[in-house]
Amino acid sequence: MNTLAPHSPARGVSSAVSARSFAGGIASFARREFRDSIASRWFLLYTIAFGVLAVGVSFLSLSGVGSHGFAGFGRTAAGLLNLVVLVVPLMALTAGAGTIAGERERGTLLYLLAQPVSRSQVVIGKYIGLAGTLVCSLCIGFGVSAGVLAWRTGGVGVGSYAMLVAFTVLLALAMLSVGTLISVVSRKPSVATGLGLFVWLTLVFVSDLGLMASSILLKLRVQEIFGLAVLNPLQAFKMAVIVNMNASLDVLGPVGAYASRTYGDSLSWMLATTLVLWAVVPLMLATLLFARKGAL
Amino acid sequence: MRSITIAILASLLMSSVALATSGAREPTSRSVALIGAMIDAADPGSTIHVPAGIYTGNLIITKPITLDGGDATVFDGLGQGTVIDVRAQRVTVRRCVIRASGKDVTGEPAAVRVSAGSATIESNTIEDALFGIDLRESPDSIIRDNSIRCKDLDPGRRGDGIRLWWSHGCVIEDNTVRGSRDMVFWYSENLRIRRNTVTDSRYGLHFMYSHDTVLEENVLTGNSVGIYLMYSNRITLRDNRLTNNRGASGYGIGLKDCDDITVTGNALLANRVGMYIDNSPSSIGSTGLFKSNMVAFNEIGLLATPNTHDNVFTRNSFVENEEPAATHGRGRLDSNVFAKDGAGNYWSDYAGFDLDHDGIGDLAYEPRSLFGAMLAREPNLRLFVHSPAQRAIEFTARALPELRPEPTLTDPSPLALPQDLKLTGAHPRRPTAMGVLALLLLTFAGGLAFFLARNPGVIAPPQGVTE
Amino acid sequence: MITATKVTKKFGRVAAVSGVSLELGEGESLALWGSNGAGKTTLIRCLLGVIRFRGAARIGGVDVRKRGRRARSLVGYVPQELAFHDDARLGSAMAFFAGLRCVPRARAAEALATVGLAGHERKRVRDLSGGMKQRLALAIALLSDPPLIMLDEPTSNLDAAGRGEVVETLHNLKTSGKTLLFASHRPDEVISLADRVLVLDRGKVQRDTTPRELWPTEKPIQVVRLHLTMASEDDAARVLREAGHAVHVNGHGLCVAVPRDRKADPICTLARCQIEVRDIEVLDNVHMPEVQP
Repeated sequence: MNTLAPHSPARGVSSAVSARSFAGGIASFARREFRDSIASRWFLLYTIAFGVLAVGVSFLSLSGVGSHGFAGFGRTAAGLLNLVVLVVPLMALTAGAGTIAGERERGTLLYLLAQPVSRSQVVIGKYIGLAGTLVCSLCIGFGVSAGVLAWRTGGVGVGSYAMLVAFTVLLALAMLSVGTLISVVSRKPSVATGLGLFVWLTLVFVSDLGLMASSILLKLRVQEIFGLAVLNPLQAFKMAVIVNMNASLDVLGPVGAYASRTYGDSLSWMLATTLVLWAVVPLMLATLLFARKGAL
Repeated sequence: MRSITIAILASLLMSSVALATSGAREPTSRSVALIGAMIDAADPGSTIHVPAGIYTGNLIITKPITLDGGDATVFDGLGQGTVIDVRAQRVTVRRCVIRASGKDVTGEPAAVRVSAGSATIESNTIEDALFGIDLRESPDSIIRDNSIRCKDLDPGRRGDGIRLWWSHGCVIEDNTVRGSRDMVFWYSENLRIRRNTVTDSRYGLHFMYSHDTVLEENVLTGNSVGIYLMYSNRITLRDNRLTNNRGASGYGIGLKDCDDITVTGNALLANRVGMYIDNSPSSIGSTGLFKSNMVAFNEIGLLATPNTHDNVFTRNSFVENEEPAATHGRGRLDSNVFAKDGAGNYWSDYAGFDLDHDGIGDLAYEPRSLFGAMLAREPNLRLFVHSPAQRAIEFTARALPELRPEPTLTDPSPLALPQDLKLTGAHPRRPTAMGVLALLLLTFAGGLAFFLARNPGVIAPPQGVTE
Repeated sequence: MITATKVTKKFGRVAAVSGVSLELGEGESLALWGSNGAGKTTLIRCLLGVIRFRGAARIGGVDVRKRGRRARSLVGYVPQELAFHDDARLGSAMAFFAGLRCVPRARAAEALATVGLAGHERKRVRDLSGGMKQRLALAIALLSDPPLIMLDEPTSNLDAAGRGEVVETLHNLKTSGKTLLFASHRPDEVISLADRVLVLDRGKVQRDTTPRELWPTEKPIQVVRLHLTMASEDDAARVLREAGHAVHVNGHGLCVAVPRDRKADPICTLARCQIEVRDIEVLDNVHMPEVQP
């Protein structure tokens, strides 16, 4: 067997080159994903939808009293918070769910994998590309909305607003990560989208309603309610935003007061860590599963 | 004879001060005993114009005199004890900077303590004090136009900015207090409390067993609680402005066991709870009147314990509160009256209409928030406010009438329009920062898009793959 | 160049490829021959390491499962039909693959020129004709000038002219020393390009042979398409195979490779077995090089 001949690879290609080409491959996929999402117009759609909603919420919350410069950041933030909790997970989950499953159905996935790339490059590259798209979309929406706030009221709570944006980005990354995992395990994009919507419904409504019911029926203690609630990335996000706005979770009643009292200043970090875990763990799982699973 | 002595002392002091200031920018400090000597030398009732300079130590005034600092005098307690201790009647301390009282809570060191009566403390600047101005059994005193800044301690270890103890008939006006515990009134009656500003403190204005007082046009912002009245009767709160009081309880106005309180024309904005009523009025035959207040942007507009009764609410505007009215615990607010002489209140979540254009809604206002009812029963559920689940519950309740709870209150003649929002002195406009943030965000988005959309760079081939 | 031992891939209970072992030397050219469903495509995917399988496969001594990225950098792959984001422009698609393969973009232009697509950079992939798409796929495969090219029925969607171009390009590549592995069901391609033929049936290797042994005649070969009733196609294929014909079933009748002067043979064979032939069609002239290698 004369496998090693002039054409075979030089052994001992420096690991630096390999690492660079690994990162280069990820960058290639990220860029392609970004351009695809712009070309396929979902980026445009999401950006416009989110921007219009964000600006609308800002305007509504300022209406009538905005010119007095009073409305306070609290109301605007509450409105934006409600919007973000509802819309951003939907954007991120559907975007993530479509990514690998879509390529699989179009048959392009197989062709991509036949290139000298590793599966982790594909997953991570696509994730980064989509993350870039989402972050762009969110920053545009929040940016225009901030412009409206600046124009109409005077910027009360610029720091709070910046924190809201930062945590929203974190939430989007977490949900995108979950979406990517869904995409990896689904054979068809329709299944992936369905699963994505199911997860969205679960996180947005079902888990909260379930937790409400069980806290009443099982007479859960505050620490139990808090522990369970924090598992939901949307709750973690909400609490993180409120903590950074009010320096305390007292707004959220006894459970919030318990959390503020128990964790104090580390609460904010704890919630941020929860979101980061939600962004990292499903993506890692997706990468592992995708590496084990076939391309079909 | 005495006046000559004072003149000599004063001229000596002045010349030395002049020498000192010509040599260095910061005037050298000297002992407050010099002032003590000047007071000893002065006739009762006379005015001492204190020469400019810094005087360190603790001053005790035992003679009815007027001390005028001319805005150039500093009394520095050097962190020990009470800085100026007034132990005689009819003393005036005016236009001084008084700073650095003791810090240890035992002995309650203050910037100015008065334990006689008829004192006038005005136009002083008080800094770094545990207690600011402390009147003990000093009736008929005037505290006016002082600026008080307390020691930067944990809120629990701070002293009160202004405290009255058994001091009737005092006037407290135009003072500014920052970062204190409370401005508190114990067992003091017939006060006039006007145009004071309290910020970043625990209770802006706090009444304990103090009756028959008028509080007007005070501004209380960013405190834990704006005005908290306890066991105090016949008090009028008029045209005060209570904003962003969001501490643990976070009331704009809190009433506990108070009879015959009149609350009119106040603006309660963006507090955690606009008005909190706990068992007031508590005596049979007494009432509470809440009229023409603007209650807006609070998490809860009106919060009351279920035993609350015989309060009258008329012509108030409840605008965009997260919850307009709620009970603290199970129960309803229907033992109170929400309309007087055919005029109810404005509720911004009122879904009715005013077809005959008489300014009164044609349907009664009866808030029936299912989530609100659940909150009253299970306070833990407050964790879920600001969540889509909350909206889902309200939506369900609207769709299925059998799930709707009893209304918390009934306003038979809700107003169709809110009163004018008097919002003078709102937050300073700082649009630039927000504008900059907007620009930053958009620039970041643009930069990211550019970075991701630009063509990938040329990468050198690794060896062995290509020839 | 390729060493595969006992490659087995099952989809559920059905084994698409079962126990295939093969070895392919440097510069050799191997055709995978078999009807649809014989396992050609699956085998190629296994060898590329894009699907999981049992057994072992190495390309240039590199395990395709453990170091797939390294192994695939030695392979240019041309699918049956290029599947790439249709909205992408040709130039940006090439730039993307150039990035993946770590080659300078100048090389991309060169590769496009090689397959005659220079000047089409602004076209979108969806606007390309079938032949152009295949040439683009070829250009992508050639980007990093890999020693091994794998092709999965590269001409099946092309018309005669397109086929000719592709086969000619491949022939040049073979002459320049590339190792080729391709699936095909066109005898003419196999004869003109392959040194060896691996005959697959239902995932198993039937024969490892040469085109000359498979089609023993020196005479030029033509393909005849027989139209039968659907029910009889499988029987007919079996009968014809037993009679020594190369048969391909592709849903549009039965394609049989026959020597130019014996086109009626399959009809007679079938007639003997009472299988009715409704129509007969002689497919266009196949590309036959003057000299057999």
